[in-house]
Amino acid sequence: MRSWLGPLAFGLIVAAATAYAAISAIPYGLMSVAMERLGQGGVNRMSYANLATAAYQPVVRPSPDLAYSSCSYDLSEGPISIDVTPVEGRYSSLSIFDAATDVIFVRNDVEAGGKPFRIVVARAGQTVPKGAEIVRTNHDYGIALIRLLLKDPAEIGALDTVRRQSSCRPVTNPK
Amino acid sequence: MKSWHRYAITLVGGLAVGLGAAWALTDSGLRDGAVENGPWSTSLGYGTKATDPITRAVVARAGLLALPAKETVYWSAQTDAAGATLDGNCRYRLSGAPLDARWWSVTIYDEAGYLVANPAKLWSVNGANVVLDTKGEWRVTIAPTKPAGGAWLPGTKGQPFHLTLRMYNPGKAFRADPQKAALPQIVKEGC
Repeated sequence: MRSWLGPLAFGLIVAAATAYAAISAIPYGLMSVAMERLGQGGVNRMSYANLATAAYQPVVRPSPDLAYSSCSYDLSEGPISIDVTPVEGRYSSLSIFDAATDVIFVRNDVEAGGKPFRIVVARAGQTVPKGAEIVRTNHDYGIALIRLLLKDPAEIGALDTVRRQSSCRPVTNPK
Repeated sequence: MKSWHRYAITLVGGLAVGLGAAWALTDSGLRDGAVENGPWSTSLGYGTKATDPITRAVVARAGLLALPAKETVYWSAQTDAAGATLDGNCRYRLSGAPLDARWWSVTIYDEAGYLVANPAKLWSVNGANVVLDTKGEWRVTIAPTKPAGGAWLPGTKGQPFHLTLRMYNPGKAFRADPQKAALPQIVKEGC
């Protein structure tokens, strides 16, 4: 039995280190999968999803009442700007999640005074446009998610044009 | 047995135990910040900047991309008022008063958290489409077949279901004491 003491102690250390590493990795792994599923239209671009149904649910527990627009972003080549246009009389919100799944920004239509607004997401040290509202993040990757509450699921087609006024794109001229 | 064989065995065992422990430790939504109210439970940790790796992983697994509590509170129910697992074969009465929020909904999911196909394509009821009775209460029947009248959410025969109650922009009174808020009742009527 004594010949096992060393190996068992070693095994315990391996177990603890593995558990810690795995626990730390889980959020990044889940975000990575979500970024891929929600970024079907391309990185640093807004995708305007149809309503979730049994046949279409890219992320767990989608609300079938909300129209989701999503932007999987990558700041490695510079900041991105997110433009949000609220829809009159309907709840909408922008939420931004970094690669670690932490929420770094939330604003809903009431907080925005019902008016369009722009957010620039950037790493520390990146040049950003003057006067813009900036959200700094410690990670290159993340997801910006717009939720829009429809009065009736059938109106999603009619709202398509106004939904597409909300956008996500790299900042091309930070002046 | 050679010494390095023993080390190799405990290395592999340690990796397996470590991974299993990581999955088990991050499986439960019940950590600091968990709130229970009857069959409904929620976590105030959704949509926040987590304070430690375990909480972050637990919240990521249970509520990825969920909004913070000030914006939306997400309650989850897996059992009825009597504590029995919600069963897609059975008929339930889901009812309550309008909730203290800008908008609310109850959505039916399978155990993994996904919408289940049903011919009616119905998965949720919400504050804007429920009808209030003379007592100011709304009521929905959850059952595998459509009831004679009234609002209906389809359960799926042969499997359990979960309910998620979303409250968008909950009111101050609710946020002050979510544990005591009057949440919808889930009562089994028959199987």
